[in-house]
Amino acid sequence: MGNGRTKKRFRLLAVGVGGQGVLTATRFIGEAALAAGLDVVVGQLHGMSQRGGSVSSTVLIGPGKSSFIADGQADVVLGLEPLETLRALPRMAGHTKVVMNLGRVMPGVLSRQGKPYPAIEEILDQIRAVAASVHTVDAGAAAEKNGGTQGLNVLMLGALSALNLLPLTEAQLLSAIERRSSKKSLGRNRQAFALGRKAMGK
Amino acid sequence: MSPRPPEQRVDPLLVDAEGHAECLLGNEAIVRGALEAGVGFASGYPGTPSSEVTDSFARIAPARGIRFEYSVNEKIALEMAFGASLAGARAICAMKHLGLMYAGDPLSTIPYVGVVGGLVIVSAGDPSCHTSPNEQDQRHLGPMLHLPMLDPATPQEAYEMARFAFELSEKSNLPIVLRTTARVCHTRAVVRYGRLAEPKTAGFVRDPSRFVPMPQNARALRKTIGARVETARALMSASPFIRTDGNGPLGIIATGAPAATTADLICDNGFSDRFTVMTVGAAFPLPEDRIAEFVQKFPHVLVVEELSPYLEDSLHAICSRRGLKTEINGKRTGHLPVEFEYEPEVILKGIRRFLGNEAVPAPARKPPALPPRPPSLCPGCPHRAAYVAARAAFDEHQLYFNDIGCYTLGYGPPLETVDALLCMGAAFTLAAGASRVTGARTVGFLGDSTFFHSGMPALLNAIKEDANMVAVILDNQVTAMTGFQPSPGVEAGGAAPSRNVSIEAVVRALGARHVETVDPHDLPATIAAFRRAREATGTSVIITGRPCPVFLSKVIGRPPGIAAYEIDDTVCRTCGRETAGMRCDLCVSVPHERSMVYCRATGALAQENRPAVAPCATRCPLSLCVQGYAGHIRAGQYAEAFRLIMDRCPLPETVCRVCHRPCETVCVLRDMSEEPVGINDLKRFVVDWAARSGAPYEPKRDPENGLKVAVVGSGPSGLAAAHDLALRGYRVAMFDAAESPGGLLRSGIPPYRLPREALGRDIQRILGLGVSFAAGKALGHNLAIKDLLSGGFDAVYLGIGAMKGIGLGFQSERASGRPDVVDALAFLHDANTGQKAPPGRRVAVVGGGNAAIDAARTARRLGAQSVKIVYRRRREEMPAISEEIEAAEAEGIEILTQMQPARIAAGDETGLLCVRTEPGEPDASGRRRPVAVPGSERLIAADLIITAIGQAMDPAWRAPGDIELETTSDGLIKTDAETCRTSHPRVFAGGDATAADRTVTGAIAAGQRAAWAIDCALRGGAAASVRLAPPRPNTQPPDSLSLQSLQSSQSLRSPRQRQPETPATVRTTDFVEVLQPLTEARARTEASRCLLCGLCGNCRSCIDVLGCPAFYVEDDRVRIDHTLCNGCGVCAALCPNGAIRKVAPA
Repeated sequence: MGNGRTKKRFRLLAVGVGGQGVLTATRFIGEAALAAGLDVVVGQLHGMSQRGGSVSSTVLIGPGKSSFIADGQADVVLGLEPLETLRALPRMAGHTKVVMNLGRVMPGVLSRQGKPYPAIEEILDQIRAVAASVHTVDAGAAAEKNGGTQGLNVLMLGALSALNLLPLTEAQLLSAIERRSSKKSLGRNRQAFALGRKAMGK
Repeated sequence: MSPRPPEQRVDPLLVDAEGHAECLLGNEAIVRGALEAGVGFASGYPGTPSSEVTDSFARIAPARGIRFEYSVNEKIALEMAFGASLAGARAICAMKHLGLMYAGDPLSTIPYVGVVGGLVIVSAGDPSCHTSPNEQDQRHLGPMLHLPMLDPATPQEAYEMARFAFELSEKSNLPIVLRTTARVCHTRAVVRYGRLAEPKTAGFVRDPSRFVPMPQNARALRKTIGARVETARALMSASPFIRTDGNGPLGIIATGAPAATTADLICDNGFSDRFTVMTVGAAFPLPEDRIAEFVQKFPHVLVVEELSPYLEDSLHAICSRRGLKTEINGKRTGHLPVEFEYEPEVILKGIRRFLGNEAVPAPARKPPALPPRPPSLCPGCPHRAAYVAARAAFDEHQLYFNDIGCYTLGYGPPLETVDALLCMGAAFTLAAGASRVTGARTVGFLGDSTFFHSGMPALLNAIKEDANMVAVILDNQVTAMTGFQPSPGVEAGGAAPSRNVSIEAVVRALGARHVETVDPHDLPATIAAFRRAREATGTSVIITGRPCPVFLSKVIGRPPGIAAYEIDDTVCRTCGRETAGMRCDLCVSVPHERSMVYCRATGALAQENRPAVAPCATRCPLSLCVQGYAGHIRAGQYAEAFRLIMDRCPLPETVCRVCHRPCETVCVLRDMSEEPVGINDLKRFVVDWAARSGAPYEPKRDPENGLKVAVVGSGPSGLAAAHDLALRGYRVAMFDAAESPGGLLRSGIPPYRLPREALGRDIQRILGLGVSFAAGKALGHNLAIKDLLSGGFDAVYLGIGAMKGIGLGFQSERASGRPDVVDALAFLHDANTGQKAPPGRRVAVVGGGNAAIDAARTARRLGAQSVKIVYRRRREEMPAISEEIEAAEAEGIEILTQMQPARIAAGDETGLLCVRTEPGEPDASGRRRPVAVPGSERLIAADLIITAIGQAMDPAWRAPGDIELETTSDGLIKTDAETCRTSHPRVFAGGDATAADRTVTGAIAAGQRAAWAIDCALRGGAAASVRLAPPRPNTQPPDSLSLQSLQSSQSLRSPRQRQPETPATVRTTDFVEVLQPLTEARARTEASRCLLCGLCGNCRSCIDVLGCPAFYVEDDRVRIDHTLCNGCGVCAALCPNGAIRKVAPA
């Protein structure tokens, strides 16, 4: 029991659409934290959402047991999709830093109703009104320059590391990604990580 | 922390180093705990949130020498594990909470028998129903069934409890339930390892008085349970899972996942010195002494537990038994809710209230209203294709029962194939049960894994009772929803899974007689199979077989050279009529889209050969969208079908009865040696439906423009012109020599073909638009064009017809005395306007057109005993509508072809003397001129001769002094074919008075074209052309269309449905309408025959019907996201316009 503990937990919320690799991204962070000797809890309650639905996952680093991030508690929101990032607004507060991919995944209901996807600027305005900062990443464009590489989630982790938003070093994060990547995806993930950093000017 | 082993490819669960740490899911931690306990057997049935337990064992079991299986269902998993325990192995089985209920039968007896090797049952609960239909609190099973139950708060605890549980099981001689919840199962946290232990099996040692719980043994075993439970209680009380932290003045007792959240909340909110917290990691038997010891220290205690007040009520009982006065707070006191998972905010609220601090922190920022993003079937999912096929093959109101698995995602738009759902295997039983009481044929869907799980007995039961249902097994060869576990009988080792247990063989062995296995991605074949199943009786079984593509891509990767698809924007969402300005204004309608999918996918037209406009529409004088209303009728959308007809047809009651149906002569079905679609019968069905149901006629009208047009003549062309002019904003005055409007429709067409009430509805609809009618006004007598033009009318339309019959030209024709000779129009006029005098015993009618047939059939009805039609050419050259000819013959009218009148015979033998003819040289019309055969005279005995060989205008219309209009050599008014304009710029004409199309429908079209031309002349082309007139029909033979899959398509198509008709013996006695409209069922069957060959702009089927996530709309254009498309190609087979094309792989 953490009675008397003083160090605050670091809380990251990752959100996206089923299939974008949200759970893998938080697993990588969890592995890196473990290797760095930090106490870490990763919440991966995915429900049925792996089938193209909204997915969210949490990473909490530091002393503590539960995997929840309560309203206004997120230190960092890693958004793999704009609308899903906006959906996480209640978890944000004045201290929250947001890293958001600009690539949109159109919800089926909008296509069926013939409605357009909300304007990115409007999404950003709503987030900016709450969060401390928003960094956008055009992951699709960044990947396209590299021949359409997949690995959006790792690309976003690269961006996250470039922005120094994690209590982990670049080497710690990359090494965890390499350790937990399959042989098939190892090269692709290294490349994506580098692209993410490059997209943030690193 | 211990250093990581150098080889990173050792499975994290198999690292054998004391103190080693891994970041494990709760479920993985359980597996590690079991490994350290030397577990020798593992089984389970996948079910979220338990699945990673079995999946981890599947991965690591071979390396550890552990026997593992994905069992067919949870009951079997538990029995397998119990068998292993009896044989002396430590055994574990895992399932979700619902599965444990399915295993309830063995579960309830195992505590009596006890165990040999430790037996641990992992039951994963799901507070908040994240992936389950209920959130039952399984802790109650503990006291109910004497099941010791551990309840971890974190992955580390789950690991420790799993390891401990085997020892607990063996020492207490009871099975142990490790009850987790989704939050613990799916939280990843640092777990510190002990050492692995080798699996051991002691072997089966006979102990029948214990292992055979027949009644006398069961009674004996029952008496031992109490002591065993007490052993478990003692061990659990002494375990580290019952512990106390802090030393604040208030007591909290927490259990399960909320214990971890509570601990964090107390730290984070600075409450550490306020509370002493007891964590109870057990649900049964409770450590009562320790709890009592804790409780008595505090005046107030708060119990924090999810779901029911299980622990809270136990506390009340403990305090009551021991006389403790502590106040117990929790759910019963309203501090905490009885439902759903406890998020931090919920517990914090309870704690604050417990502290007496009711002030709740500022409410959370309200989440913005965003479009929901529920899970959906993946791109390329074979279930989706199966659902699309079923929805296309069955009616819109078909009932669908569904089951637990990916296919549950058929719920909601666009697939909507889940009307009810209960539990594993229930799709078939619910469908059968509902069918038994309603008699309706129902459909049940379940997957392959579910079929083996519990669908087999359900199907057997349905077959046994011969349930009127279609059982569909969606076989994708894996349990996809829970993480691609292989379903029974599948070997998943190779490049692709292969099944060695044949579902079809099992189904047949269960006694099913109608069984079909189809590839759901073969949309036409799948629709056809569903269609046959729909028409069958008893229990039909359809197996749709295709491996899950997501699983395949995980096994073999994305196949190289996968086809991509793209959309041809020139074809997508367009209609060939659109360029002519005739796009309908109907909304996109999903049932209609499903109709299109059915008709297109099962039709025979190659996609690339689709004409922009269907031949029937190009041939239709009114340019009606036939395929549109056929598709709507098939979908049961009669109001939409009616709107589509009314959009272009001002006289629907008339047209649906008397049209000469040029459309049917070019129907593509004719190219396939089938009867054409009964296009006019479909129209009749809808029009009749509209009349019966009072469907409103609410046309779009231009505002009044202040201009006036006179319409002279109220036959079909005059009425149509008046209608269209009124819609175009003109004030219209209609004049007619007759007393009532209708012209030839009233005077020439007998009521048994066009009842006067039906005609009246057409006329009333037009007069209802504000058109005035003046009777008794005849051009040349009391009406002059020049007076009209000078008297305030801005234009004049002449639809004055050609009402004068042409005679035979014989000398004796006008002679009085028998036989009488009368022309058909005069005869019909008299008969139709109420003069019902018997025409004579024997009647001969000369001619082969509709007037001849009408006259003959009318004569028959007026009492003539013998009616003969004399026609000089061959029968196939008769211009009359063929069904009319057949109807006449059925009424006993004799048709004498290749016979031409020579003279009237008067005297003793009255009648018509005729000669036989032979085809001679072609005449100007291209037809072979009949030539009389000398010496072939024959007398047709007759008292009355009716001539129906042509009609002309009465020259009286040209009054001296009126405006002179140019005429043709036949004395008809000369007009421009496109505009109907006469030689006078403000006078227009159409119908029989001109040389144009002289059919009823052609006359209506002429009236509409004239209305447009008048509008062009008076208001200008721009204003007029907002509303276009029908283009002149294409009379060229249609292009021959390449046909594919002729046979399969033909087998699906019903034969042409016929309108019911009154028997000839009855109908010849009166003038009641002979043909009745198609019944609803027959109309829909007939509509299903239509191939819908033309394009349709009212379509978004790829989104509305298929709903593939790879499709989206951007800037009102449908697009395919190539990162999501996996090239299944179902969309291309489905697209009604053939707009989705395969592109070469990159």
